[in-house]
Amino acid sequence: MIDKIFFNLTRFSALLILVIVAWIFVVLFNHSLEAMRTFGLDFITQDEWAPNLDKFGAYAAILGSVISTTLAMLLAVPIAIGVAIFLSEIAHDKVKSFFGISVELLAAIPSVIYGMWGLFYFVPILRDIFGGMGIGLLAAGIVLAIMILPFMAAVTRDAMNTTPDILKESAYALGGTQWDVIKDVIIPYAKAGIIGSLILALGRAIGETMAVTFVMGNVHHVPGSILDPTTSIPVTLANEFTEADSSLYFSSLFGLALTLLVMSFVVIAIAKFYFLRKARRA
Amino acid sequence: MTAVQKRIFINKLALIFSTLSAIIALAFLFWILGVLVMKGMSALNWNIFIYEGAPPGYMESGLKHALVGQLILVGLATGIGVPLGILAGTYLSEYGKNSRLAHTIRDISDIMMSAPSIVIGAFVYAVIVMPMGHFSAWAGAIALAIIMIPIILRTTDDMLQLVPGTLREAAFALGAPKYKVIKDVVYRGAKAGILTGVLLGIARVGGETAPLLFTSFNDNFFTTDLNAAMPSLTVTIFNYAISPYEDWQQLGWAAAFILSMFILGLNILGRVILFAGKRK
Amino acid sequence: MASIIDIKDECALHVRDFEFTYKGALAPSLKKVTMPIAKHSITALIGPSGCGKTTLLRSFNRMHDLYPGNTYAGEIEFEGRNILTPKEDLIHLRTKIGMIFQKPTAFPMSIFDNVAYGMRLQGIKNKTELNDRVEKALKDAAIWKEVSDRLKQDANGLSGGQQQRLCIARAIAVEPEVLLFDEPTSALDPISTQGIEKLVIELKERVSIIIVTHNMQQAARVSDYTGFMYLGELIELGQTEELFVTPKEKLTQEYITGKFG
Repeated sequence: MIDKIFFNLTRFSALLILVIVAWIFVVLFNHSLEAMRTFGLDFITQDEWAPNLDKFGAYAAILGSVISTTLAMLLAVPIAIGVAIFLSEIAHDKVKSFFGISVELLAAIPSVIYGMWGLFYFVPILRDIFGGMGIGLLAAGIVLAIMILPFMAAVTRDAMNTTPDILKESAYALGGTQWDVIKDVIIPYAKAGIIGSLILALGRAIGETMAVTFVMGNVHHVPGSILDPTTSIPVTLANEFTEADSSLYFSSLFGLALTLLVMSFVVIAIAKFYFLRKARRA
Repeated sequence: MTAVQKRIFINKLALIFSTLSAIIALAFLFWILGVLVMKGMSALNWNIFIYEGAPPGYMESGLKHALVGQLILVGLATGIGVPLGILAGTYLSEYGKNSRLAHTIRDISDIMMSAPSIVIGAFVYAVIVMPMGHFSAWAGAIALAIIMIPIILRTTDDMLQLVPGTLREAAFALGAPKYKVIKDVVYRGAKAGILTGVLLGIARVGGETAPLLFTSFNDNFFTTDLNAAMPSLTVTIFNYAISPYEDWQQLGWAAAFILSMFILGLNILGRVILFAGKRK
Repeated sequence: MASIIDIKDECALHVRDFEFTYKGALAPSLKKVTMPIAKHSITALIGPSGCGKTTLLRSFNRMHDLYPGNTYAGEIEFEGRNILTPKEDLIHLRTKIGMIFQKPTAFPMSIFDNVAYGMRLQGIKNKTELNDRVEKALKDAAIWKEVSDRLKQDANGLSGGQQQRLCIARAIAVEPEVLLFDEPTSALDPISTQGIEKLVIELKERVSIIIVTHNMQQAARVSDYTGFMYLGELIELGQTEELFVTPKEKLTQEYITGKFG
């Protein structure tokens, strides 16, 4: 009797996850219907976002999301790989555990703090160097890069560490240098895991809100250069959700949220089910 | 230069690049940490814990409202998310095992773990805030709980699977019903791991701002009313930091410092418990 | 005390008063080991697990240097110099003294690239030379017939025994003087093991071989000399037939008759 109740309780909780995820999609979809009906494909191809005219085109926000995460990836990936190599192959034990723990703890710092630091300390530097406002795509890309760096480096290191010692020793035994072993053995061996980890970090970066909200500018227009302020999907949501005053406005914001969710779901699913699963099988 | 000399040279270059990137990365991260500690410590004083929010320019302004609000929100989220997460993880490890349903749940939950938190906020807005007609602590806590469940589920599932099957068999052999085996043997065996998972889950949602922006919203005053907007440290940091007032920005730094210490503390505690559990 | 045979023939390596200490260890893992390794012959190292035979083997190509903090003392003479000095060029040393591991270690690349890897490291780029030497190495490792039509395929598609022979081909392709075998058949089935043992015997025409094995029959089957190690010391080194039939040390006799192990 109690056995049965307990079983059903656990099963209910497990199924709840599926229900919630499905529910999220349904709710976001239903609420964005009005915007989809009104604008059709224009919703993602037009960049005019004018609440006073009830015109909503998400192109600028989508573009801002894509460019800021691309920038962040361009900056963070080489450094994260460098850090991962340092942590798995170069650093001595003590340095390794110090760096390793630091990196993991830094990955836990709330993203709102990265954004705040960016606004007060990094944006002024950009302003001095490049002129203009300082806030914009470049600032967002850099702050985002710094924010995902610890997570990215930690998972990349974990992927590299799956290479068996004996395989590395074999390459050393043929007269290889550390770099030979890294590029010819570790990276080819752990390739799927490394790519999966990087894409997983990309998935997180796309949905990141607070680190970029401070430094993006929230201006709905297609930027002329990476120094221009613009917006992204999470930034628009964070700034405008509580200000929306018409049902079409709300519906457009839900449309943005759905777009973001689909984007990140696809990226994360690719990372997890293609690359990381392949890595685990190898 | 012979081929071998060239390789040795390239090797040195690569090692220098790699060490340099580690130094650059840590320099940035310690810069941020340094700013946080310096700014936070200098803004810290007793008033922060005594007074609630006040308009800019007031001497008697503090963060009591946000601290208490944060604890209420995270506490409620923990109360909702932890039991659900542990029960769901128990189902996967003890009943579902390798069934297709169990694998589907694991996969979906794994994706959820990295889903954008602001979207969860939008969802909770649509299903709770809109029907109720106002922001509430409940809405915020539920948004956090939704984020927390996949984390707890995953660690519970992993940790329970580490408990050896022979232990379960030994308990069954004594005639114990399954729920008793799970409660008395499996949970006990995985205690440290589950506790660590719970602490890391709390740390993770404790730092979330985005899902609270339009669920629990914010309030500059002390409240314990769960059916009204509730202040939190994270949203307060956001609002104060983007304000043009210097004293509010100061309070923002103090809040950021307190929040970070809280979260780092939970992380470290979680690791210590796991480490101590392993050593036994 | 230890009974060490005096080898009249030319020696490939000469170990003298060699001591090895792992990082942080209070006592050395190898104590005052003195041992000649005959050229163009097979020397087997046997002994219970933890006796230091693999530790000794990994000293010959300074594998221990990959993990900082380990220390050597004494001397290992190779080509007229002590290879334990800090100024020893490890890259050069490791191309002269190759190694085969407990498990097959095919790199994640094609069969051809696996064998060509060591040569490419040495800067050989000429296609015909690479082709010729890869083919020769694969033939010498008795695996050419099985793989000649699929050289471009991933090496991880081969069976365990084939992979181990591929690793041997990879090691001999760079024409080393000495080959170190660290329990090369411990992960293989009996038939593959037989193939590897036959190959090892054939190879001694060209290289000097040291083989660590936990299997006394294997040592008896393949080796010319056998060294018995116990608790970090070399107890006895002798001609294989003599050591197994008329051991000079009581410990050796107890070990080969199965009193401990």
